[in-house]
Amino acid sequence: MTALLELEDVRCGYGPTSVLHGVSLAVPEGGIVSLLGANGAGKTTTLRAISGGVRWLGDIRFAGRSLRRMHTEDIVGVGIAHVPEGRGILTELTVDENLKLGAHRRKDGAAAVRKDYDRVFEYFPVLRERRKLSASTLSGGEQQMLAIARAMLMKPRLMLLDEPSLGLAPLVVRSIFEIIRIINQADHVAVLLVEQNARLALEMSTDAYVLEVGRVAVKGASADLKGNESVRRSYLGY
Amino acid sequence: MLQRIRTAPPRYWLVVVAILFFAGWPTVISSFQAGQWALALILAIAIMGLNILVGYSGQLSLGHGAFMAFGAYASAILAHRYKMDYLATIPIAGLLTGMVGFLFGVPALRLSALYLALATFALAVVMPSLIKRPFGLTGGVQGISLPPVVVPQFAKDGFTMLTGSAMTSDQWVYYVTFAYALVLFWLAWNLVRHRAGRAMRAIRDGEVAAAASGINIAGYKTLAFGISALYAGIAGSLLGLATGYISPDTFPVSLSIQLLVGAVVGGLASIPGPLLGGIFAYFLPIESNQWVPTQTWIPSQIVATVVKAGPAVTYGVVLILLMIFAPNGIVGLANAGYTRLRRRLRGAADRESGHMPPDPQTV
Amino acid sequence: MQAFLQQVVSGIASGGIFASLALALVLIYNAMGLVNFAQGEMAMLATFIAFTLIDHGISYWIAFPVTLVVAFAGGILVQRIVIRPVERAPILTLVIVTLGLATLVNGVAGFIFGYVPRSFPSPFSVQTVNLLGAFVSYRDLGVIGVSAVVLLLIYLLLQRTTIGLTMRAAAHHPEASRLLGVHVSWMLALGWGLASAVGAVSGIMVAPILLLEPNMMQTIIIYAFAAAVLGGIESPLGAVIGGLIVGVTVNLAGAYLPFVGGDLQLAVALAIIIAVLVIKPNGLFGRPSVRRV
Repeated sequence: MTALLELEDVRCGYGPTSVLHGVSLAVPEGGIVSLLGANGAGKTTTLRAISGGVRWLGDIRFAGRSLRRMHTEDIVGVGIAHVPEGRGILTELTVDENLKLGAHRRKDGAAAVRKDYDRVFEYFPVLRERRKLSASTLSGGEQQMLAIARAMLMKPRLMLLDEPSLGLAPLVVRSIFEIIRIINQADHVAVLLVEQNARLALEMSTDAYVLEVGRVAVKGASADLKGNESVRRSYLGY
Repeated sequence: MLQRIRTAPPRYWLVVVAILFFAGWPTVISSFQAGQWALALILAIAIMGLNILVGYSGQLSLGHGAFMAFGAYASAILAHRYKMDYLATIPIAGLLTGMVGFLFGVPALRLSALYLALATFALAVVMPSLIKRPFGLTGGVQGISLPPVVVPQFAKDGFTMLTGSAMTSDQWVYYVTFAYALVLFWLAWNLVRHRAGRAMRAIRDGEVAAAASGINIAGYKTLAFGISALYAGIAGSLLGLATGYISPDTFPVSLSIQLLVGAVVGGLASIPGPLLGGIFAYFLPIESNQWVPTQTWIPSQIVATVVKAGPAVTYGVVLILLMIFAPNGIVGLANAGYTRLRRRLRGAADRESGHMPPDPQTV
Repeated sequence: MQAFLQQVVSGIASGGIFASLALALVLIYNAMGLVNFAQGEMAMLATFIAFTLIDHGISYWIAFPVTLVVAFAGGILVQRIVIRPVERAPILTLVIVTLGLATLVNGVAGFIFGYVPRSFPSPFSVQTVNLLGAFVSYRDLGVIGVSAVVLLLIYLLLQRTTIGLTMRAAAHHPEASRLLGVHVSWMLALGWGLASAVGAVSGIMVAPILLLEPNMMQTIIIYAFAAAVLGGIESPLGAVIGGLIVGVTVNLAGAYLPFVGGDLQLAVALAIIIAVLVIKPNGLFGRPSVRRV
């Protein structure tokens, strides 16, 4: 069975600096895969390559179709939602407008969208309270919720999450991850999760890849990696 | 000394050749043409001033025509009303304009690039009206007529001795302008090479970083404004000398635009750039009107357009194309071509010296 | 008192014209952080197009919207052909490009239509109506009315429609918007088209008063700059209010300050620009921007 997302020997960089030196990974339909590694290993660059933010060599296929030379906005159109590092909240707009942008390209009718709005507010009640306020008034955790809610409203087949736990209090992180798991199971949305918090990521995901200076150093089922102490010590820092 | 001459890079030779060329040029062209080239040099001086501001210190001014007007009127008033010898008024006008520019630079500190462009643009548009008002001083709409240029005896004698013919007033004006251009370009070159120039470039490239390095931002930016205004003032003053008559209409907005075009075409942040820019800015409208109709291979409609619409269309198209394809102007193109040539000649050597691609790291 | 009221109403009418052009400037500034120096010239060219249509017998109220559509298309073309190649260049380059564009458009208009001023019809008569004791012309009221309608429509478009939302998103947050599927490049082009159309309104409103000729908008754009700067270059609302304030101030200054007179009104605008930039650079409604280091 072909995976939903496949990266094959992906190389890319910024100008003269090469960041990825041949990364291969796969995300199965409806699965959760974590992408781990230290700072600078190339995790964010990998996500950016997938969503068309950097030029790359090699192959990236989504549902069997190559993403080469596609613009970001079109990649979004085929069903990939990328929540970037820093969350990408449009702070000049209100919370409601951010959400609306999430849903604005959907073609499945206003009723379906409204239903998803209800679910979003169910998961994140604070967003309903702050609907009409500028998105810049949200705290870090709330912005993360908005980013995920917005991604949910895009009704993607694959979500790329870049460091969702960054800068957030542990309790908030737990609840967000819980919701990600619910979205994954209820909506059958695959997730590629980039995280520095390896332990949390391994708990959530079925498979994991560890990047080190632009290459896949270790890969396998999350359960295995969790149990392997030497891997944890050398690569994951705990 | 001989050693220095032998190892001097080709660039210095180019400068020597250029100086000799311009020094001798009037002897091979007509007197009228010498007058034209004097005007081109005048523009070049003003553009050099603008370049110091825009190219080296990164502050955008769309109003340098206004500074030229100030210098021109300062000279004219001193000569006309106070009967000063015109040549003596030139440096005074320059200094006065420089001071005004310096003062202008103070509020300009608070303006970002865009707002500064706006404010100076507005100044350029309003300037003619502002000049007209103090009627008694400036002669209002009618402007000021200056007494005809008298060539001093020593110049007449020297010229006749060297070339065997009498020196016309146009040629004299040319040489006065040439002398100022030499001095001012040399000053600019020094400025750029030494501390002030480096400070300005640092400010242009990143003000916050420059401030963090301890550079006195306010001081250098206002200094740049003052110096660039001084250049424009001298140019304006020389313009009065060359044309013998100035009025508010001598300094419309289009002059400021023309200066900016010249600066950009020649190449910002370069010393030879303004010279090329001045020549371009002055001769393009004239040549396009005269030369284009003689080219029979150009279809008549295009010729008609060029002639009727005048320089505006050409300027506009040139500016846009230049910004898209050659934002560093002629000098930039020359530099790029030169670099590419050198690299081509050196390429084989580089490959052998071992510029290897980065080694893939193993886990 | 009556004279004063007349001046004020007249000032509001001029203000409407300034506000329209200022709004065009603000729209483009929001989209690109760039002030389009060619905005006035583009508006002038659009007005000439309207003139040509009317000259060929088409009624004013049909020529008007047709011109707006043409201006809209023109704005998109300009963005695609001239601006897009230099999108990522430093601001100086962009300013020079718009200056080049201004020069070019002015030259083209001069070539096609010549420099002889022409009269441009207004659907509103210059007859006056008695309003609160002052005599106000129908034309002034008409200008106010049309400007108000256009500005209202722009507001509704930007704030209440999805496409307006995507335009605003693309303008303020291009990278993040791409990740949400917004075609940022096309939104920028739309912004230019919209600005061009709004600018055209300004030109059509001012032509009956100033007489139509290629240099018609050069003073108007200074007033529009003053309005945009006063209102806060990022704020559409600011552009409108700024326009009204500038219009009224300039008019009153011209009428009541003896040394200002007719031709120095422009200097008043310059004074406003400088005063605002020195005292409160962000204008009335602008937000202080944080400079990223």
